[in-house]
Amino acid sequence: MTKRCVLFIDDEEGLLELYRTAFERLGYEVATATGLEAARDRINRGGIDAVVLDIRLGEASGLQLLREVKAAHPRLPIVLCTAYARYQDDFSSWLADAYVVKSSDLGELKLAVKRCLEASA
Amino acid sequence: MPREGALPRRPRGARRGRAGLWALDAGLSLRRHRSNRLLDLLVAVGEALERAVDPEVAAWIVLSALTAGEGLGFNRAFLLLARDDELRGVFGVGPRSREEAFRVWAELSRRQVRPLELLGEPDAAAVAAERQRHAKTLAELSLPSPRGCHAWRRAFVAHATHPDRCVRHWVDVLDSRALVVIPLLAAAGPWGVVLADNFVTAAPVYLGTLEAAESLAHVLRAAVERTELLRRLREEEQQRVAAEHATLLLATARSLTHELINPLSIAGGTARELAASPPAEPAELARKLAIIAEAVARVEEHVGRLAEGLAGRANGTSAREMELGELAERVVERFRPLAVKRHVRLVCYRPARQVRVGGDPEVAERCVETLLANALTACQVQRGEVQVAVTEEGAWGRLQVADTGPPLEPELAGAPFSGGMSMRRSSSGLGLASLRALAEAMGGRVDYDQSDTPWVRFALLLRRWA
Repeated sequence: MTKRCVLFIDDEEGLLELYRTAFERLGYEVATATGLEAARDRINRGGIDAVVLDIRLGEASGLQLLREVKAAHPRLPIVLCTAYARYQDDFSSWLADAYVVKSSDLGELKLAVKRCLEASA
Repeated sequence: MPREGALPRRPRGARRGRAGLWALDAGLSLRRHRSNRLLDLLVAVGEALERAVDPEVAAWIVLSALTAGEGLGFNRAFLLLARDDELRGVFGVGPRSREEAFRVWAELSRRQVRPLELLGEPDAAAVAAERQRHAKTLAELSLPSPRGCHAWRRAFVAHATHPDRCVRHWVDVLDSRALVVIPLLAAAGPWGVVLADNFVTAAPVYLGTLEAAESLAHVLRAAVERTELLRRLREEEQQRVAAEHATLLLATARSLTHELINPLSIAGGTARELAASPPAEPAELARKLAIIAEAVARVEEHVGRLAEGLAGRANGTSAREMELGELAERVVERFRPLAVKRHVRLVCYRPARQVRVGGDPEVAERCVETLLANALTACQVQRGEVQVAVTEEGAWGRLQVADTGPPLEPELAGAPFSGGMSMRRSSSGLGLASLRALAEAMGGRVDYDQSDTPWVRFALLLRRWA
């Protein structure tokens, strides 16, 4: 069976490594990007089944990428994973398929990714 | 109506009302004397009103001039304003009864108080007390639905038999034998009414006094409109400042959460992963532990900075006095070698007079460094010019950095300080959004303009030190 590929976009290298370790152990293929340009390139190359996106990417905004990706790939599920819960109040974030607040416990994020992939299958 | 006249000296047998105007017509010199006095009164009122920033204070000044013995000498006066289809009593000056009048006037006379001399320095507490003292009468004078009333345009003296029901209502409430009614009209209808009478002295109201009262009432209208506008502007300013503070707090909360939650997630998450599946290789274990240690160190650093900032705010040391010109020169001199190397002409204009502002000198310096670094980076290709200028701008001190580099891209020009947008010029300094947040944290703001080609101007504005 082909592995489902999840793209994690965050400006924190340490978090990306954590995601890679945790999600590869669950059987996913993991791709990572630390900025908007790298993320766009990776998505446009294809083969991504779900995206986990941070909102604050240094000076850039993940919400901007969320709008772009949803316009170009409306069926690609996107999970917003951010440190700040109140971004949920921003209607721009409502485009996302799921919203998860960052935590050292990745249980909620794992569950959100699993559900999004099941829904898009 | 009797014509008013006045004598400079009291003739034998002449009667004198509280207005201080002799009830005799004694010729041209006397009228000139009266005109001069009226002119003096208007000047005094005008000067006092110039300093008034509150509608109640403006009303107190003019109604006091109407009722002061050296003024027009009415016993009492009231102001009603048309608001929301209602003529509402808003201010009153003078005694409420004959007994109170004799007591107060005797006291004023004993203490040799001259009310007109107090106009220039209104006591806010006394004004509020005066308004409160007349609250009951003002409420009774108010007319919830004054339709059909105020068809009049000029001031007049009314009696109990007046055909207008509004006027009869006021005469009745005030139990007045001769009530001066001064209508104040706006383009869309009635603006307000000034009422005055001599209910204690029963002194006659002369045409000249009526005209003078009408002039004062119109001055009052202009002053109330101006002070109400000022009040609205003040309220809007307060709302704007509150909104900006809320925005800044929100941005701070987001940054703080980002800066703390990210390393905590890394540390905690990595530790959980290690516990769930310990690596076989000691080197891999050491690498993971180093990641955790680094993340914890970041949290410690952020918490330390946060505590320091809060402590600084608590003891009021976050804003200090500093001289903007000196700061500009200091930063410019630091950047001069770089400007020479990049063949950019760098000049600094500093006024002879010191521009003292409030802020955190280190933070302000960091902001100016960022602006200057941006400008030099923008100019290096064309070998242009960078001008740093310090000026005073009302309540603000302005430090402007202008350069002849390329303008901002259109998508950035609309809101160059908003977050989530990349800068036009790469720089080692802060982002423009951070620059704005820092300026606002110091109670200041940032400004941007590129309408004056070829100059692109960024400015840091900090409040002048009081």
